[in-house]
Amino acid sequence: MDKHELINGYFEGSLSENQLEELARLLKTDTAFATDFEFQKELQRSLKKEERQEIKAMFAGLNIEATTAKTRVVRMRPWLIAASFALLIALGSWLLFFNNTDLNTDQLYAANFAPYENVVHPIERGEQLKDLKTRAFTAYEDQDYMLALKLFEELQIQQGDPYIDFYEAVVLMQLNRHQEAASILETYIKNDGQLKDRARWYLALSYLKLRAITKSEDQLQKLIDRNGFKQEAAKELLKKLD
Amino acid sequence: MNDQQLIAQLKRRDRNALKDVYRGYKSEFFRFASRYTKADDTLEDIFQDAIIALYENALAGKLDHLNGSLKTYLFSTGKFMLFKKFRDTKEIATEETYVFDQKEKAVIDDVYEDEGPSEYQKKMVENFKKLGDKCREILELFYLQGLKLEEIMSVQGYDNKNVVKSQKSRCLKSLKELIQRNDG
Repeated sequence: MDKHELINGYFEGSLSENQLEELARLLKTDTAFATDFEFQKELQRSLKKEERQEIKAMFAGLNIEATTAKTRVVRMRPWLIAASFALLIALGSWLLFFNNTDLNTDQLYAANFAPYENVVHPIERGEQLKDLKTRAFTAYEDQDYMLALKLFEELQIQQGDPYIDFYEAVVLMQLNRHQEAASILETYIKNDGQLKDRARWYLALSYLKLRAITKSEDQLQKLIDRNGFKQEAAKELLKKLD
Repeated sequence: MNDQQLIAQLKRRDRNALKDVYRGYKSEFFRFASRYTKADDTLEDIFQDAIIALYENALAGKLDHLNGSLKTYLFSTGKFMLFKKFRDTKEIATEETYVFDQKEKAVIDDVYEDEGPSEYQKKMVENFKKLGDKCREILELFYLQGLKLEEIMSVQGYDNKNVVKSQKSRCLKSLKELIQRNDG
Protein backbone atom coordinates (compact mmCIF):
# COMPACT_ATOMS: atom_id res chain seq x y z
CA MET A 1 0.00 0.00 0.00
CA ASP A 2 1.53 3.33 -0.97
CA LYS A 3 1.56 6.35 1.29
CA HIS A 4 -1.36 8.09 -0.44
CA GLU A 5 -3.51 5.04 -0.05
CA LEU A 6 -2.62 4.85 3.59
CA ILE A 7 -3.90 8.38 4.15
CA ASN A 8 -7.03 7.78 2.06
CA GLY A 9 -7.66 4.58 3.98
CA TYR A 10 -7.41 6.48 7.24
CA PHE A 11 -10.15 8.91 6.19
CA GLU A 12 -12.27 6.06 4.85
CA GLY A 13 -11.88 4.25 8.14
CA SER A 14 -10.78 1.11 6.38
CA LEU A 15 -7.26 0.57 7.76
CA SER A 16 -6.33 -2.62 9.59
CA GLU A 17 -4.46 -2.64 12.90
CA ASN A 18 -1.15 -3.16 11.10
CA GLN A 19 -1.79 -0.37 8.66
CA LEU A 20 -2.70 2.00 11.49
CA GLU A 21 0.61 1.19 13.15
CA GLU A 22 2.40 1.84 9.88
CA LEU A 23 0.61 5.21 9.63
CA ALA A 24 1.65 6.14 13.17
CA ARG A 25 5.24 5.18 12.41
CA LEU A 26 5.37 7.27 9.24
CA LEU A 27 3.87 10.26 11.04
CA LYS A 28 6.84 10.19 13.39
CA THR A 29 9.58 9.50 10.86
CA ASP A 30 8.51 11.00 7.55
CA THR A 31 8.05 14.78 7.73
CA ALA A 32 6.61 15.19 4.24
CA PHE A 33 4.09 12.47 4.95
CA ALA A 34 3.15 14.04 8.28
CA THR A 35 2.66 17.47 6.65
CA ASP A 36 0.47 16.01 3.94
CA PHE A 37 -1.60 14.07 6.44
CA GLU A 38 -1.98 17.04 8.78
CA PHE A 39 -3.07 19.27 5.90
CA GLN A 40 -5.91 16.92 5.00
CA LYS A 41 -6.91 16.53 8.64
CA GLU A 42 -7.01 20.30 9.00
CA LEU A 43 -9.08 20.62 5.83
CA GLN A 44 -11.58 18.16 7.25
CA ARG A 45 -11.76 20.03 10.55
CA SER A 46 -12.17 23.36 8.76
CA LEU A 47 -14.96 22.09 6.53
CA LYS A 48 -16.76 20.55 9.49
CA LYS A 49 -16.58 23.71 11.55
CA GLU A 50 -17.79 25.76 8.62
CA GLU A 51 -20.72 23.42 8.11
CA ARG A 52 -21.62 23.50 11.81
CA GLN A 53 -21.75 27.27 11.69
CA GLU A 54 -23.96 27.17 8.63
CA ILE A 55 -26.34 24.78 10.32
CA LYS A 56 -26.51 26.93 13.43
CA ALA A 57 -27.25 30.00 11.33
CA MET A 58 -30.04 28.04 9.68
CA PHE A 59 -31.49 27.09 13.08
CA ALA A 60 -31.29 30.72 14.19
CA GLY A 61 -33.33 31.59 11.09
CA LEU A 62 -36.01 29.10 12.13
CA ASN A 63 -36.11 30.76 15.54
CA ILE A 64 -36.73 34.20 14.06
CA GLU A 65 -39.78 32.77 12.27
CA ALA A 66 -40.97 31.29 15.56
CA THR A 67 -40.45 34.46 17.64
CA THR A 68 -42.31 36.57 15.12
CA ALA A 69 -45.26 34.26 15.59
CA LYS A 70 -44.88 34.51 19.36
CA THR A 71 -44.83 38.32 19.35
CA ARG A 72 -48.18 38.32 17.68
CA VAL A 73 -49.69 36.30 20.52
CA VAL A 74 -48.15 38.47 23.21
CA ARG A 75 -49.21 41.70 21.57
CA MET A 76 -52.75 40.40 21.30
CA ARG A 77 -53.16 40.13 25.02
CA PRO A 78 -53.86 43.79 25.82
CA TRP A 79 -56.66 43.59 23.34
CA LEU A 80 -58.01 40.48 25.02
CA ILE A 81 -57.84 42.21 28.39
CA ALA A 82 -59.65 45.19 26.96
CA ALA A 83 -62.25 42.88 25.51
CA SER A 84 -62.81 41.14 28.84
CA PHE A 85 -63.12 44.51 30.50
CA ALA A 86 -65.73 45.55 27.99
CA LEU A 87 -67.41 42.29 28.74
CA LEU A 88 -67.69 43.10 32.43
CA ILE A 89 -69.14 46.51 31.81
CA ALA A 90 -71.42 45.52 29.01
CA LEU A 91 -72.63 42.42 30.87
CA GLY A 92 -75.66 41.28 29.00
CA SER A 93 -74.72 42.87 25.73
CA TRP A 94 -71.84 40.36 25.57
CA LEU A 95 -73.32 38.21 22.88
CA LEU A 96 -74.43 41.18 20.90
CA PHE A 97 -70.94 42.59 21.01
CA PHE A 98 -69.30 39.57 19.47
CA ASN A 99 -72.10 38.53 17.19
CA ASN A 100 -72.19 41.96 15.73
CA THR A 101 -72.03 41.38 12.01
CA ASP A 102 -70.81 44.89 11.29
CA LEU A 103 -67.21 44.53 10.39
CA ASN A 104 -65.06 46.23 12.98
CA THR A 105 -61.89 46.86 11.04
CA ASP A 106 -60.24 48.76 13.87
CA GLN A 107 -60.65 45.80 16.13
CA LEU A 108 -59.28 43.41 13.54
CA TYR A 109 -56.38 45.73 12.96
CA ALA A 110 -55.59 45.94 16.66
CA ALA A 111 -55.77 42.18 16.97
CA ASN A 112 -53.35 41.62 14.14
CA PHE A 113 -50.87 44.44 14.14
CA ALA A 114 -47.52 44.09 15.84
CA PRO A 115 -44.50 46.10 14.72
CA TYR A 116 -42.11 44.01 12.69
CA GLU A 117 -39.05 42.84 14.54
CA ASN A 118 -35.75 44.51 13.84
CA VAL A 119 -34.03 41.72 11.95
CA VAL A 120 -31.69 43.76 9.81
CA HIS A 121 -29.60 45.59 12.34
CA PRO A 122 -29.14 43.77 15.65
CA ILE A 123 -28.39 46.22 18.43
CA GLU A 124 -26.07 45.61 21.32
CA ARG A 125 -27.08 47.94 24.10
CA GLY A 126 -24.34 50.15 25.44
CA GLU A 127 -22.53 50.38 22.16
CA GLN A 128 -20.15 53.30 22.26
CA LEU A 129 -20.24 54.38 18.71
CA LYS A 130 -23.79 55.12 17.73
CA ASP A 131 -24.14 55.58 14.04
CA LEU A 132 -27.32 56.78 12.43
CA LYS A 133 -28.54 53.28 11.63
CA THR A 134 -28.05 52.12 15.21
CA ARG A 135 -29.83 55.18 16.57
CA ALA A 136 -32.72 54.66 14.16
CA PHE A 137 -33.22 51.01 15.06
CA THR A 138 -32.75 51.72 18.76
CA ALA A 139 -35.57 54.26 18.58
CA TYR A 140 -37.62 51.70 16.68
CA GLU A 141 -37.05 48.99 19.27
CA ASP A 142 -37.76 51.45 22.07
CA GLN A 143 -41.05 52.31 20.36
CA ASP A 144 -40.12 55.98 20.10
CA TYR A 145 -41.76 56.17 16.69
CA MET A 146 -41.59 59.93 16.16
CA LEU A 147 -37.83 59.83 16.58
CA ALA A 148 -37.55 56.61 14.58
CA LEU A 149 -39.41 58.18 11.67
CA LYS A 150 -37.11 61.18 11.62
CA LEU A 151 -34.00 58.98 11.74
CA PHE A 152 -35.25 56.54 9.11
CA GLU A 153 -35.96 59.43 6.78
CA GLU A 154 -32.43 60.73 7.30
CA LEU A 155 -31.01 57.26 6.83
CA GLN A 156 -32.96 56.82 3.62
CA ILE A 157 -31.36 59.97 2.20
CA GLN A 158 -27.88 58.81 3.21
CA GLN A 159 -28.07 55.13 2.32
CA GLY A 160 -31.18 54.47 0.30
CA ASP A 161 -31.52 50.80 1.21
CA PRO A 162 -34.99 49.47 0.33
CA TYR A 163 -35.51 47.76 3.70
CA ILE A 164 -35.39 51.18 5.40
CA ASP A 165 -38.58 51.98 3.50
CA PHE A 166 -40.17 48.90 4.93
CA TYR A 167 -39.37 49.86 8.52
CA GLU A 168 -40.37 53.44 7.85
CA ALA A 169 -43.77 52.20 6.70
CA VAL A 170 -44.25 50.20 9.88
CA VAL A 171 -43.38 53.31 11.88
CA LEU A 172 -45.92 55.35 9.92
CA MET A 173 -48.55 52.74 10.72
CA GLN A 174 -47.75 53.13 14.40
CA LEU A 175 -48.26 56.86 14.01
CA ASN A 176 -51.60 56.19 12.35
CA ARG A 177 -50.47 57.62 9.01
CA HIS A 178 -51.77 54.76 6.90
CA GLN A 179 -52.10 56.54 3.58
CA GLU A 180 -48.37 57.27 3.53
CA ALA A 181 -47.50 53.82 4.85
CA ALA A 182 -49.58 52.11 2.17
CA SER A 183 -48.00 54.08 -0.61
CA ILE A 184 -44.47 53.25 0.58
CA LEU A 185 -45.35 49.57 0.93
CA GLU A 186 -46.93 49.46 -2.53
CA THR A 187 -43.71 50.78 -4.06
CA TYR A 188 -41.61 48.47 -1.93
CA ILE A 189 -43.56 45.43 -3.15
CA LYS A 190 -43.46 46.61 -6.75
CA ASN A 191 -39.68 46.86 -6.52
CA ASP A 192 -39.51 43.30 -5.26
CA GLY A 193 -38.01 44.16 -1.85
CA GLN A 194 -36.50 41.37 0.19
CA LEU A 195 -39.16 41.53 2.88
CA LYS A 196 -41.94 41.53 0.30
CA ASP A 197 -44.14 38.97 2.03
CA ARG A 198 -43.86 40.91 5.26
CA ALA A 199 -44.72 44.07 3.41
CA ARG A 200 -47.88 42.46 2.00
CA TRP A 201 -49.07 41.62 5.48
CA TYR A 202 -48.58 45.16 6.70
CA LEU A 203 -50.11 46.61 3.56
CA ALA A 204 -53.18 44.43 4.10
CA LEU A 205 -53.49 45.85 7.62
CA SER A 206 -53.07 49.43 6.47
CA TYR A 207 -55.77 48.93 3.84
CA LEU A 208 -57.95 47.61 6.61
CA LYS A 209 -57.53 50.85 8.50
CA LEU A 210 -58.23 52.79 5.32
CA ARG A 211 -61.43 50.73 4.90
CA ALA A 212 -60.16 49.44 1.56
CA ILE A 213 -61.44 45.95 2.28
CA THR A 214 -61.15 44.51 -1.23
CA LYS A 215 -57.56 45.67 -1.54
CA SER A 216 -56.80 44.21 1.84
CA GLU A 217 -58.34 40.88 0.88
CA ASP A 218 -56.35 40.92 -2.30
CA GLN A 219 -53.04 41.26 -0.42
CA LEU A 220 -54.02 38.57 2.07
CA GLN A 221 -54.87 36.20 -0.76
CA LYS A 222 -51.48 36.82 -2.36
CA LEU A 223 -49.82 36.11 0.96
CA ILE A 224 -51.75 32.85 1.32
CA ASP A 225 -50.77 31.82 -2.19
CA ARG A 226 -47.12 32.26 -1.24
CA ASN A 227 -47.64 29.78 1.55
CA GLY A 228 -45.12 31.37 3.86
CA PHE A 229 -45.09 34.31 6.24
CA LYS A 230 -48.24 34.82 8.37
CA GLN A 231 -49.95 32.01 6.56
CA GLU A 232 -52.41 31.12 9.31
CA ALA A 233 -53.02 34.69 10.45
CA ALA A 234 -53.79 35.74 6.87
CA LYS A 235 -56.28 32.91 6.40
CA GLU A 236 -57.93 33.74 9.71
CA LEU A 237 -58.19 37.42 8.91
CA LEU A 238 -59.48 36.79 5.40
CA LYS A 239 -62.19 34.56 6.82
CA LYS A 240 -63.30 37.33 9.16
CA LEU A 241 -63.38 39.87 6.34
CA ASP A 242 -65.55 37.64 4.17
CA MET B 1 -41.50 10.81 7.74
CA ASN B 2 -40.08 7.79 9.52
CA ASP B 3 -36.65 7.54 11.13
CA GLN B 4 -35.08 5.54 8.31
CA GLN B 5 -36.06 8.13 5.73
CA LEU B 6 -34.78 10.95 7.92
CA ILE B 7 -31.46 9.21 8.45
CA ALA B 8 -31.11 8.59 4.73
CA GLN B 9 -31.79 12.29 4.09
CA LEU B 10 -29.29 13.33 6.74
CA LYS B 11 -26.67 11.16 5.09
CA ARG B 12 -27.26 12.98 1.83
CA ARG B 13 -26.61 16.21 3.74
CA ASP B 14 -30.16 17.32 3.09
CA ARG B 15 -30.78 20.49 5.10
CA ASN B 16 -34.52 19.88 5.27
CA ALA B 17 -33.96 16.78 7.34
CA LEU B 18 -32.06 18.89 9.88
CA LYS B 19 -34.92 21.38 9.96
CA ASP B 20 -37.41 18.55 10.49
CA VAL B 21 -35.43 17.22 13.43
CA TYR B 22 -35.10 20.71 14.89
CA ARG B 23 -38.78 21.56 14.59
CA GLY B 24 -39.96 18.09 15.50
CA TYR B 25 -38.15 17.68 18.80
CA LYS B 26 -37.42 21.17 20.09
CA SER B 27 -40.20 21.63 22.64
CA GLU B 28 -39.96 18.06 23.88
CA PHE B 29 -36.20 18.35 24.25
CA PHE B 30 -36.54 21.62 26.17
CA ARG B 31 -39.00 20.00 28.56
CA PHE B 32 -36.73 17.00 28.97
CA ALA B 33 -33.58 19.07 29.50
CA SER B 34 -35.14 21.68 31.78
CA ARG B 35 -34.43 19.26 34.63
CA TYR B 36 -30.82 20.33 34.32
CA THR B 37 -31.15 24.01 33.63
CA LYS B 38 -33.84 26.58 33.01
CA ALA B 39 -31.58 28.85 30.98
CA ASP B 40 -33.08 29.01 27.51
CA ASP B 41 -29.86 29.94 25.72
CA THR B 42 -28.02 27.00 27.28
CA LEU B 43 -30.82 24.64 26.26
CA GLU B 44 -30.80 26.08 22.76
CA ASP B 45 -27.03 25.63 22.43
CA ILE B 46 -27.13 22.06 23.64
CA PHE B 47 -30.12 21.16 21.49
CA GLN B 48 -28.39 22.52 18.38
CA ASP B 49 -25.11 20.78 19.23
CA ALA B 50 -26.95 17.52 19.84
CA ILE B 51 -28.55 17.66 16.39
CA ILE B 52 -25.20 18.42 14.78
CA ALA B 53 -23.54 15.51 16.59
CA LEU B 54 -26.41 13.25 15.55
CA TYR B 55 -25.97 14.45 11.98
CA GLU B 56 -22.22 13.83 11.94
CA ASN B 57 -22.66 10.39 13.46
CA ALA B 58 -25.28 9.63 10.82
CA LEU B 59 -22.76 10.65 8.13
CA ALA B 60 -20.24 8.30 9.73
CA GLY B 61 -22.76 5.48 9.29
CA LYS B 62 -23.39 5.09 13.01
CA LEU B 63 -27.15 5.26 12.61
CA ASP B 64 -27.37 2.76 9.78
CA HIS B 65 -28.47 -0.05 12.04
CA LEU B 66 -30.03 1.99 14.78
CA ASN B 67 -31.46 0.04 17.70
CA GLY B 68 -34.28 2.19 18.95
CA SER B 69 -35.50 5.52 17.67
CA LEU B 70 -33.80 8.59 16.30
CA LYS B 71 -35.39 10.51 19.15
CA THR B 72 -33.69 8.30 21.75
CA TYR B 73 -30.39 8.80 19.98
CA LEU B 74 -30.85 12.58 19.88
CA PHE B 75 -31.92 12.88 23.49
CA SER B 76 -29.11 10.61 24.68
CA THR B 77 -26.65 12.80 22.80
CA GLY B 78 -28.11 15.86 24.48
CA LYS B 79 -27.96 14.17 27.86
CA PHE B 80 -24.32 13.27 27.31
CA MET B 81 -23.61 16.96 26.69
CA LEU B 82 -25.66 18.08 29.68
CA PHE B 83 -23.54 15.83 31.90
CA LYS B 84 -20.41 17.41 30.53
CA LYS B 85 -21.79 20.82 31.32
CA PHE B 86 -23.21 20.07 34.75
CA ARG B 87 -20.71 17.57 36.01
CA ASP B 88 -21.97 17.56 39.55
CA THR B 89 -25.58 16.79 38.70
CA LYS B 90 -26.81 13.36 39.60
CA GLU B 91 -28.02 11.25 36.77
CA ILE B 92 -31.75 11.11 36.51
CA ALA B 93 -33.03 7.82 35.23
CA THR B 94 -34.85 8.19 31.96
CA GLU B 95 -35.73 5.94 29.14
CA GLU B 96 -33.55 8.12 26.93
CA THR B 97 -30.43 6.06 27.07
CA TYR B 98 -28.26 4.89 24.28
CA VAL B 99 -24.83 3.36 24.65
CA PHE B 100 -22.35 5.17 22.39
CA ASP B 101 -19.11 3.64 21.20
CA GLN B 102 -15.77 5.46 21.43
CA LYS B 103 -16.01 7.03 17.99
CA GLU B 104 -19.51 8.33 18.58
CA LYS B 105 -18.41 9.82 21.89
CA ALA B 106 -15.44 11.46 20.17
CA VAL B 107 -17.83 13.12 17.70
CA ILE B 108 -20.10 14.34 20.50
CA ASP B 109 -17.11 15.72 22.42
CA ASP B 110 -15.78 17.40 19.34
CA VAL B 111 -19.06 19.16 18.55
CA TYR B 112 -19.57 20.13 22.17
CA GLU B 113 -16.08 21.58 22.49
CA ASP B 114 -16.04 23.33 19.12
CA GLU B 115 -15.37 27.00 19.72
CA GLY B 116 -15.39 28.02 16.10
CA PRO B 117 -12.69 27.99 13.45
CA SER B 118 -9.16 29.28 14.01
CA GLU B 119 -7.74 31.98 11.75
CA TYR B 120 -5.96 29.35 9.69
CA GLN B 121 -9.12 27.28 9.36
CA LYS B 122 -11.06 30.33 8.20
CA LYS B 123 -8.41 30.98 5.58
CA MET B 124 -8.58 27.39 4.48
CA VAL B 125 -12.35 27.55 3.95
CA GLU B 126 -12.05 30.88 2.19
CA ASN B 127 -9.63 29.39 -0.31
CA PHE B 128 -11.60 26.18 -0.56
CA LYS B 129 -14.52 28.24 -1.84
CA LYS B 130 -12.34 29.54 -4.64
CA LEU B 131 -11.84 26.04 -6.03
CA GLY B 132 -13.88 24.89 -9.01
CA ASP B 133 -17.21 23.09 -8.51
CA LYS B 134 -15.77 19.69 -9.29
CA CYS B 135 -13.00 20.00 -6.74
CA ARG B 136 -15.32 21.27 -4.05
CA GLU B 137 -17.70 18.44 -4.68
CA ILE B 138 -15.11 15.70 -4.56
CA LEU B 139 -13.45 17.08 -1.42
CA GLU B 140 -16.78 17.57 0.36
CA LEU B 141 -17.93 14.08 -0.53
CA PHE B 142 -14.71 12.66 0.84
CA TYR B 143 -14.00 14.75 3.95
CA LEU B 144 -17.49 15.84 4.98
CA GLN B 145 -19.91 13.26 3.74
CA GLY B 146 -17.43 10.48 4.48
CA LEU B 147 -17.79 8.63 1.19
CA LYS B 148 -15.06 6.21 0.14
CA LEU B 149 -13.20 6.90 -3.11
CA GLU B 150 -14.98 3.96 -4.65
CA GLU B 151 -18.38 5.38 -3.71
CA ILE B 152 -17.41 8.77 -5.13
CA MET B 153 -16.45 6.99 -8.30
CA SER B 154 -19.98 5.67 -8.77
CA VAL B 155 -21.66 8.90 -7.57
CA GLN B 156 -19.72 10.96 -10.10
CA GLY B 157 -19.96 8.36 -12.83
CA TYR B 158 -16.28 7.49 -13.27
CA ASP B 159 -15.34 3.96 -14.13
CA ASN B 160 -11.94 3.91 -12.54
CA LYS B 161 -11.10 4.57 -8.93
CA ASN B 162 -7.67 5.93 -9.89
CA VAL B 163 -9.28 8.79 -11.78
CA VAL B 164 -11.00 9.89 -8.59
CA LYS B 165 -7.82 9.42 -6.61
CA SER B 166 -5.70 11.57 -8.86
CA GLN B 167 -8.44 14.16 -9.22
CA LYS B 168 -8.58 14.45 -5.44
CA SER B 169 -4.78 14.86 -5.26
CA ARG B 170 -4.89 17.59 -7.88
CA CYS B 171 -7.61 19.43 -5.96
CA LEU B 172 -5.62 19.28 -2.74
CA LYS B 173 -2.62 20.60 -4.58
CA SER B 174 -4.60 23.54 -6.00
CA LEU B 175 -5.89 24.32 -2.54
CA LYS B 176 -2.37 24.34 -1.09
CA GLU B 177 -1.23 26.64 -3.85
CA LEU B 178 -4.12 29.02 -3.30
CA ILE B 179 -3.35 29.23 0.40
CA GLN B 180 0.33 29.85 -0.23
CA ARG B 181 -0.34 32.45 -2.87
CA ASN B 182 -2.65 34.38 -0.59
CA ASP B 183 -0.11 34.14 2.20
CA GLY B 184 2.57 36.05 0.41
